[in-house]
Amino acid sequence: MMTGFRYKDSDTAIHRLNPFCKLLWMANILLFALIFNNPVYLLALFLATLPLVAAARLGKEWLSVMKLTLYLGIAIVLINMLVSYHGTHILFEAPFRLPVAGVPTITLEAAFFGAAMSLRLALIISAFAVINFTVHPDDLLLAMIKMKLPYKSVLVTSLSTRFIPALVEDAQCLSDVQRSRGLELDRGSLGQKIRSRMAIVIPLLSNSLDRTVQLAEAMESRAFGSGRKRTFYKPIRFAGRDVLALTVGFLAAALGIFMRLWGYGDYQYYPTLGGIGAGALEWSLLGLVVLLLLSGVFLAVGRSEAGLD
Amino acid sequence: MIKIENLTFWYEDAATPAVREVSLEIEDGEFVLITGPSGGGKSTLCRCLNGLIPHFYGGRITGRVEVNGLDITRHSTPELAAKVGMIFQDPENQLVAVDAEREIAFGMENLAFPGELIAKRMEESLDTLGISAIRHRRMQELSGGEKQKVVIASVLALHPGILVLDEPTSELDPGSAEEVLTAVGRLNDELGLTVILVEHRLDRVAQHADRLIVLSKGAVIADGSPRSVLGGDKISDTGVGLPPIISLARRLRERGIGSGETPLTVKEGRMALGKVFQSRFGLSRGGSAPAAPPEPPNHHPLIEIKKLWHAYPGGRVALRDINLSLYEGEFIAVMGRNASGKTTLVKHINGLLKPTKGDVTVGGINTREATIAELARKVGFVFQNPNDHLFADTVEEEIAFTLKNFGFNGKEAAARVDEMLERFNLGEYRKHYPRSLSGGEKQRVALASVMAAHPRILILDEPTRGMEYRLKRELMEFLGDYRRHGGAVILVTHDVETVAEHADRVLLLSEGRLVVCGSRREVLSGALLFSPQINRLVQAFEGYGVPGDILTADEVLEMLG
Repeated sequence: MMTGFRYKDSDTAIHRLNPFCKLLWMANILLFALIFNNPVYLLALFLATLPLVAAARLGKEWLSVMKLTLYLGIAIVLINMLVSYHGTHILFEAPFRLPVAGVPTITLEAAFFGAAMSLRLALIISAFAVINFTVHPDDLLLAMIKMKLPYKSVLVTSLSTRFIPALVEDAQCLSDVQRSRGLELDRGSLGQKIRSRMAIVIPLLSNSLDRTVQLAEAMESRAFGSGRKRTFYKPIRFAGRDVLALTVGFLAAALGIFMRLWGYGDYQYYPTLGGIGAGALEWSLLGLVVLLLLSGVFLAVGRSEAGLD
Repeated sequence: MIKIENLTFWYEDAATPAVREVSLEIEDGEFVLITGPSGGGKSTLCRCLNGLIPHFYGGRITGRVEVNGLDITRHSTPELAAKVGMIFQDPENQLVAVDAEREIAFGMENLAFPGELIAKRMEESLDTLGISAIRHRRMQELSGGEKQKVVIASVLALHPGILVLDEPTSELDPGSAEEVLTAVGRLNDELGLTVILVEHRLDRVAQHADRLIVLSKGAVIADGSPRSVLGGDKISDTGVGLPPIISLARRLRERGIGSGETPLTVKEGRMALGKVFQSRFGLSRGGSAPAAPPEPPNHHPLIEIKKLWHAYPGGRVALRDINLSLYEGEFIAVMGRNASGKTTLVKHINGLLKPTKGDVTVGGINTREATIAELARKVGFVFQNPNDHLFADTVEEEIAFTLKNFGFNGKEAAARVDEMLERFNLGEYRKHYPRSLSGGEKQRVALASVMAAHPRILILDEPTRGMEYRLKRELMEFLGDYRRHGGAVILVTHDVETVAEHADRVLLLSEGRLVVCGSRREVLSGALLFSPQINRLVQAFEGYGVPGDILTADEVLEMLG
């Protein structure tokens, strides 16, 4: 998991896409996932992430992430059924009464609410997966710099994420070393366990500190901190299409917010499930949001200059 | 040109200077090799050349260092970066970007080069180091040698006139090390870059260098052509390891045999020794027959590995059908390329890994049925980096920690701690913080902490990588003593010369299979590049009746009588 869920290099239109278009797309999905409750909306948006998954040839990676999400979803449904006693359609009723909470019941509404929340989660994870697998970490860094975040802070963030795999490896090695010296990590009381973990944590910290000093030396030796305004080898370029795509992406956001303010996209789960039925106008508007969302990405595909590669 | 006048430098809070009264002049285009014992001031001197000292480290500096006329105390490291390129030991700790191209661009971006210039220099440096095939690869996927070459390319792109490399190969396997050193040699030869290289492995680079400087205790002990320094008298007192060919030539000279020249390469050695062998042996085929392989002792083996397979989670098969027995007092070397399964194999012996199929029995116990802690009483495991062993506040506590894990307390534990302190000569450091000791002392503390449990089997995973000669010798002396007391040693290593001198048996692993397992003579002699230097030398004289399985200088001398 640690190493599986990260950028995957391949040469697809989605990978080559201007990172801002992709980031805006993800921001839109996050926004919609938060403001809309209606399961039809959530499903439509979830399906709208699939064209990107296909275009980026992420089938295998996406499926493995979704498998985990499915387990998580099942857990959410079960837990919600067990702890939420609201709802009128009772599927099961316990023969006893709990103090404060009342009689434990399992209701259709609670199951349905759990499923809708799982769908919302799947939508967010699917969008994150696309971004994670297709935006080069260095492009993400450049994008952040372009958004006027200070270079040094952005670089530190990126370096620390790069250090994580090294840290995990180091911790594994240190645990091997100390276990070879007879240390039993899982024996004794909590206090003893914490103390035995120190045999790993202390060298881990010292090693990381050494590593950091060495990296700092190496960076200064390569003129980091020269005081000049940095240039970038592969700056993010904006072609006309990118600007168009971004505009369309913002339009999608505006339309979605407008719909929510107008009262669309809400749904009643408790005490009884509300009806899905809505007017043709609402469905057309939802279709338009999805269309704009996808256009915000696919309009930028295929720009010939491929500024990023 | 580099001008150093009377340089003395103290690190913050240090009582003694790290370099003292060093004066040197290095001409443009020179290839200078710097060697010497650890703590001798090599790295300190390097850091003075691009201003890391004093700007990064603080401390107190007297004397003068001028690089191309620039005083390093007045110009910062980033300013000097375009004049002096600096490359460090561990490529891992020099990387900032995710892929090779962006790594190379990093320095140029810092100096605000315009895009076109970056693009041009990018191509140039990729080609110079011959790494254009990996330009789009992620740094994490590259081998150590490739990473180090990318770092060199990124430094080179700034067009420094001077390249300083501080032990650039000590974290690499021999193949990668050779590649990096060859690339450095070319930069000096073809592009005329001034190269200042700190290295322990003199056999690989001495022939490329114009000048060899030996630093010890912060002072310049010897300075001259590699031939004169390595053949001279001063070097023997410093504990610098001589390549086997040179040490053979020196010892022959002491006995008045041969021409007395100092050969730097195997070829030169062959030329120099050819006459000696010719006159001694003529063309008569009179050499001794190769020694018979040692017979396996007939008592029970300490370790028995039967049909061992191992697959990591995710399915990568790391070991395939390994069969092996190890006896009391034996010294086995485990060799093979990176990722051939060496470490995976030895981790089965103390239970860190359990077999996927097959059995590993240690002292009659099947490792499947024992915990690591139980096996650790029988099997000591020393890891490559002594730092990884050390975490306690004092040396004493570090050793006591292992004993406490095994349930020793009170008097018995105290007695064993004392025993270890004495055996490893650590008495005076009893109350010191282990991680602040020198490299050799740390190694001894790590060993002591493992040996306190009195294991009968000792596994060492690449302990000699990047280790200087004196420490290697100390370690080998200890291992010899340990074996004489019945202990068995398993050494994972790339170091052919050490194996040639000490191992009884050599295992060669490739892609998880045990390719060869035999006496060191069988395995190490007659191979092309895998053989130790002396063996490569004598192979040419088999026609004169010189046995083709000679591995060390000692054996040559013994044969010559």
